[in-house]
Amino acid sequence: MTLLLKLSQLIDALNERVGRAAFWLVLAMTIICAGNAVVRFAFNYSSNGLLEIQWYLFAAVFLLCAAYTLQKNEHVRIDVVAGRFSPKGQAVIDIIGTLFFLLPMVVLVLSLSLPLVKESFHIGEMSANAGGLIRWPVKALLPIGFTLLALQGVSELIKRIAFLAGRIGDPNAKDKGPSAEEELAAAIAASKAKEDK
Amino acid sequence: MEWVIANMAPLMFGALILFLLFGYPVAFALAANGIAFGLLGIQLGLLQPAIFQALPERIFGIMANDTLLAIPFFTFMGLVLERSGMAEDLLDTIGQLFGPMRGGLAYAVIFVGALLAATTGVVAASVISMGLISLPIMMRYGYDKRLASGVIAASGTLAQIIPPSLVLIIMADQLGRSVGDMYEGAFVPGLVLTGLYFGYVAILSIIKPKSCPALPLEARSLRGGKLMLRVVTTLVPPLVLIFLVLGTIFLGIATPTEGGAMGAAGALILAVVRQRLSWKLLKQAMETTGKLSSFVVFILVGSTVFGLVFRAVNGDLWVEHLLTSLPGGKLGFLIVVNLLVFFLAFFLDFFELSFIIVPLLGPVADKLGIDLIWFGVLLGVNMQTSFMHPPFGFALFYLRSVAPASIKTTDIYWGAIPFVCIQIIMVALIIIFPNLVSYGDEAQREATRLEQEGGGALPVDLDTLMKGDGDAKPGEAPKSDDADNDLLKRFQQDNK
Repeated sequence: MTLLLKLSQLIDALNERVGRAAFWLVLAMTIICAGNAVVRFAFNYSSNGLLEIQWYLFAAVFLLCAAYTLQKNEHVRIDVVAGRFSPKGQAVIDIIGTLFFLLPMVVLVLSLSLPLVKESFHIGEMSANAGGLIRWPVKALLPIGFTLLALQGVSELIKRIAFLAGRIGDPNAKDKGPSAEEELAAAIAASKAKEDK
Repeated sequence: MEWVIANMAPLMFGALILFLLFGYPVAFALAANGIAFGLLGIQLGLLQPAIFQALPERIFGIMANDTLLAIPFFTFMGLVLERSGMAEDLLDTIGQLFGPMRGGLAYAVIFVGALLAATTGVVAASVISMGLISLPIMMRYGYDKRLASGVIAASGTLAQIIPPSLVLIIMADQLGRSVGDMYEGAFVPGLVLTGLYFGYVAILSIIKPKSCPALPLEARSLRGGKLMLRVVTTLVPPLVLIFLVLGTIFLGIATPTEGGAMGAAGALILAVVRQRLSWKLLKQAMETTGKLSSFVVFILVGSTVFGLVFRAVNGDLWVEHLLTSLPGGKLGFLIVVNLLVFFLAFFLDFFELSFIIVPLLGPVADKLGIDLIWFGVLLGVNMQTSFMHPPFGFALFYLRSVAPASIKTTDIYWGAIPFVCIQIIMVALIIIFPNLVSYGDEAQREATRLEQEGGGALPVDLDTLMKGDGDAKPGEAPKSDDADNDLLKRFQQDNK
């Protein structure tokens, strides 16, 4: 169990790094796309390569952040029913869900997409657009993202089982820190207080 | 077994509801449902074993989808604006401006809500800012608790329907229409809805003047010329952004994706100019954008798996049969669909509704000869209620988190109900007066109609497209980004 929990921590650390790195791509994407638009208006020039990099980056953002989002428990759930269960009950739901919902999907997508990526790599597939980009890196993001997701699934599984065994606290419990909304609320209240003085 | 084979589609749909209610993330529940029934279908000899082969290509298609690209931009823009305090400045100033009127603070909240809605696509914490700034003032000067909380929650949800809203992007994507048209179509209904909110407050201020008193003189720190100056300076940034985003999209200069990116860049520049941009703010905004993009697209991936199998077991035909056999034809269909969405909105939020329900309803509406832009806007207004439905509505939930303890949760719930009713009235108005949703021009609508009937080539001519850039008025501009894309592709092919 200790070994497994170590593994889980390792996976969490990995996906946190990957996720946090991928967030910067949001900024990169914004700058590139806004730049493309301005250049197109001003000089009537556009490059397929620069247009394609936009969706390459977007694909990278959502695929690489998926595992981190799972780790932070932010994939949307319908908790009308499940919300009424005890933390232990919810851990059981998550275990069943990981085993029968998450992992089959990940395995299916991985097994079907890997051959396509390999083929794309071997034939050096290029975009059909003139000046477009090479395709395999973006296609490879799919199995990479899903592998990270699978790893995160395993980590979540370990944490839930450890919780049921009484080894760790409730993994579904809210992060210790205040949420972004609460922070915003605090910041507004603070600036108001300053003004009133 | 015979019975199972004959009833695969209803069984699958029923199981989907159970899968979703199970409480595991929706994206994976959808996919699991698809996979389970796919395997069952293969076992029963109903489906080809190769059915899932199409899946990777579908996901690559989602990755390369230009429309969805607008989602992170508008989210990012909204977050940066919100964290940089634009809402606070607006509320302070507009509150001062309208304050002396009876119901003035409520008008200010609606006005600011609509302005914020026109700059961002997320029903974000504008509810929070308004709850923190306007709610205490409203309470101090004797506003009715229910009115105060209701008006704040409802105004926050305007971002749902006033472009550039996320739900309209998804709706356009799922219904196979252009986002630009969807935005244009939603514009007037969004304004009318805002007008209805104003009207409700106006009526209350006449029949129940005590519920929304005017601000006394000493509550106004700014007056006369000074106030006017403040109003002008605080209104400039949002108006510039609205032009940058909506203006360029409506004039056909920019695609929604470009407009979103420019808006996000503009929001960043604005935050720098106002010295409100910190690393922390930037990181938070990027993180939230990344996570939101991820879970939204994953729901789409999940619903793709579901859709692949559901269609293979003729689920689409089942739904179509179910809905076209309703009494009352078109109107019957619309009423049932709206009741269904209204009811489901109690439990599901708009992401789930638009990814699961809309792809099922769209083709049927199309068959019945319903304009899909109009249909999308109608559903958008209806889905807006999902934020206001007690007890799960997000806007109510946000408001609860910042409202003082003197406001009971039941006050917030009761306060939302009149606005949910206004929403229903708006849905009815759109059905009775379909012209409220107008976009493009006659010729363009005709073209879309022909195209969807599988008619001849798209009658896009270069001259009209080019003309659209410069002098056309909004509402007449003959543009659609699909046409633009087609054109681009054609050029590219020519160049090769």
